[in-house]
Amino acid sequence: MEFEPTIVSFLCNWCSYTGADLAGTSRLKYAHNIRIIRTMCSGRVDPTFVLESFKKGADGILICGCHPGDCHYHEGNYKCLRRYHLLKKYIKQMGIEPERLHLEWISASEGKQFAELVDRFTGSIRELGPSRIKEVVNTLS
Amino acid sequence: MEEVRIGVYVCWCGNNIAKMVDVQDVAMEVETLPNVVIARDYKYMCSDPGQDLIISDIKKHRLNRVVVSACSPRIHELTFRKALEHAGLNPYMFEMANIREHVSWVHNDREEATRKAKSLVAAAINRVCWHESLEKRSVEINPATLIIGGGISGITAALEIADAGKQVYLVEKSAQLGGFASKMCLTSPFMYSTTQMIRAKINKVMNNPNIQVLLNTQIEELSGYLGNFTTTVSEDGRDLELKFGNIIVTIGLKAFDPSVIENYKYGILPDVVTSLEFEGMLKAGKIETRDGRIPRHVAVIHCVGSRNATYHDYCSRLCCKNALKYANMVRAAIPGANIFEMYADMRAMGNGCEELYSVTSKKNVMFLMFDQHNGLPEIRKAGPKDNCDMIIELDEKLSGERIEVPADLVILMVAIEAHEEAKRLAQVTGVSMCGNQFFIERHPKLDPVATTTDGVYVAGSCQAPKDIPDSVAQARAAAARVLCTISKGNVEVEVTTAEVNEDRCCGCQTCISVCPYTAITFDEEKSVSVVNEVLCKGCGTCGSTCPTGAIRAQHFTDLQILSQIDGLLEKSMELKEV
Ligand SMILES: Cc1cc2nc3c(=O)[nH]c(=O)nc-3n(C[C@H](O)[C@H](O)[C@H](O)COP(=O)(O)OP(=O)(O)OC[C@H]3O[C@@H](n4cnc5c(N)ncnc54)[C@H](O)[C@@H]3O)c2cc1C
Ligand code: SF4
Ligand code: SF4
Ligand code: SF4
Ligand code: FES
Repeated sequence: MEFEPTIVSFLCNWCSYTGADLAGTSRLKYAHNIRIIRTMCSGRVDPTFVLESFKKGADGILICGCHPGDCHYHEGNYKCLRRYHLLKKYIKQMGIEPERLHLEWISASEGKQFAELVDRFTGSIRELGPSRIKEVVNTLS
Repeated sequence: MEEVRIGVYVCWCGNNIAKMVDVQDVAMEVETLPNVVIARDYKYMCSDPGQDLIISDIKKHRLNRVVVSACSPRIHELTFRKALEHAGLNPYMFEMANIREHVSWVHNDREEATRKAKSLVAAAINRVCWHESLEKRSVEINPATLIIGGGISGITAALEIADAGKQVYLVEKSAQLGGFASKMCLTSPFMYSTTQMIRAKINKVMNNPNIQVLLNTQIEELSGYLGNFTTTVSEDGRDLELKFGNIIVTIGLKAFDPSVIENYKYGILPDVVTSLEFEGMLKAGKIETRDGRIPRHVAVIHCVGSRNATYHDYCSRLCCKNALKYANMVRAAIPGANIFEMYADMRAMGNGCEELYSVTSKKNVMFLMFDQHNGLPEIRKAGPKDNCDMIIELDEKLSGERIEVPADLVILMVAIEAHEEAKRLAQVTGVSMCGNQFFIERHPKLDPVATTTDGVYVAGSCQAPKDIPDSVAQARAAAARVLCTISKGNVEVEVTTAEVNEDRCCGCQTCISVCPYTAITFDEEKSVSVVNEVLCKGCGTCGSTCPTGAIRAQHFTDLQILSQIDGLLEKSMELKEV
């Protein structure tokens, strides 16, 4: 059977979640693997949310926030961006391919872009194969 | 901790969800999860009987948490929170799983969609276990209103609010009020004189003691929130601080610049004019060529910059009926002129428009159709032997022939675009824009004048191309919404602010450096950080930055989100293994 990745996604309430809603309202179709969690701002995405998701079996994590300059709270997305780069380095050291974590800006009107992004990201994770970190954690504990 | 008793409601949304998700299966499956007392599926959860179902279950089964698995929380979270309140439960003991916008509408494999729905509902159940009662905070509404943009929309809203006895600050960027409506002559389809209409309104505004008009003024920055906003504007070189409780944005439209369309030679041939320039001629009372002659052939070209993938995909909505207006006015002024309407589709809709179309077609006006996909009409300078100044060549769709049409004056029905200030103002006010830079309303059907920012409303042609009647209607609606909040006097605001646990805070002050609202200060005496809950907007950024986990972003706590992740992944994994 073909590998079906599990993808966790954190979307900010104001732009990206609304963009994902728009993809739905427009009846655009995209890969079913994604599971969306809403935070008020991408700045709320705590590194532990990402690490915990990997630990619990996520094969890929997609964070989306408002475009630069459009964050509902002015600059939460910049905070998120900075943290994202650090997190990528960190997960690499833990043995998780950094490509499994991805950040992109999606505005409230970008339903189409969101649907395409989900398909693209799901495809890239499918190619990477399953994340091994869950097994590692299981053997350790 | 008290015993957690959850009720789960899986909505069919008619067929919208039920067609793609096996809702009964979802309900049956999640009923077996810990803490779930009852799980049901129902046709329309948001309907009154749907809500009554929740209310009676809360009472009957002593539920203290509710999960509704239905549409987007952005649509009905508040509806269901109210239902909880009716049943005497704290409204925050509620969580929604979005299985419509994020599942049934975007997938087409029923089995996978059902599986995904189960994991989203399981996540919501896990999360709601950790929800806490939060007390709503009520803030007083400053009864003044700021209106940005003094066109017909801004003027209408200002008068409506001022007539109810409330203060209005009407800020206009240019040196005069009126916007585009004051640049046109008669309005289609009923041919009212705009000059009279707008002048009377401007006079009323100027003489209304409740309206302070600020011309040549712009809003650069805004602080505060619903009920209490502040901004500083400069008036005669002095800084003036304005305080107000609500904002209506009415910055209007911009006319498309057709010089980018080579075929039309706008800016090259002097007698190719835009609709806006033609309004100027009508206002001045003379229809003539640049060198003062009466045109014998007048052509009106539709859809200039509209409904064309290179420029704008959308229909500008006003131009067809305006083009008909021009045909009538040319006919009245120059009875012997040849008049050509070159259209892509005739989309004159709304009250009186079809009638205007039939009247026009009886006035010896030649209607020629072209297909935008097969190329636009092409205008060129006529030769010395032609009995006209210009020739327009086009593939006429109905006859299927390529024809040439004489013209001395060409009117381009230019598209309606969003104002160039839209992006800047969207950032200042926090309102979202669509891809065409028009402002987005909170909900296209159910909430057409509010925006995603509480206390900020939009009206008029800054939200989509609109004619005067539609702009006026929306402006009045926005004014009514504002007056509603003012008459209530206060408003309940989200209490999902951040909170510092003093015992855990190490005093590093990282949180202070990341808060965009300077809502956190340092208590030197106790050596801990303190959040000012009035200033905090609940973005949660401090919560994810604090190294010691001292900050709780209420309603988005670490525990709540981590449990949600757990639920999501455990269910996904379990279902995968089956
Ligand atoms: C050529 C043409 C012909 C038309 N003919 C008709 C017709 O026959 N019938 C009809 O019903 N409709 C017609 N319309 C449409 C009509 O003009 C609009 O419906 C109407 O003007 C919308 O009003 P508004 O107040 O929303 O926007 P506007 O009229 O555009 O007014 C917006 C105002 O906001 C100001 N502003 C912009 N940015 C800022 C800022 N940052 N700060 C402060 N102020 C700002 C602008 O200076 C302007 O005064 C026509 C439009 C055009 C272009
Ligand atoms: S109203 Fe008519 S002219 Fe204007 S864009 Fe729509 S179809 Fe074209
Ligand atoms: S970041 Fe955390 S530990 Fe540091 S001052 Fe703020 S609340 Fe205290
Ligand atoms: S939640 Fe956001 S606004 Fe509130 S204190 Fe923290 S950083 Fe500031
Ligand atoms: S609100 Fe979208 S990134 Fe901050």
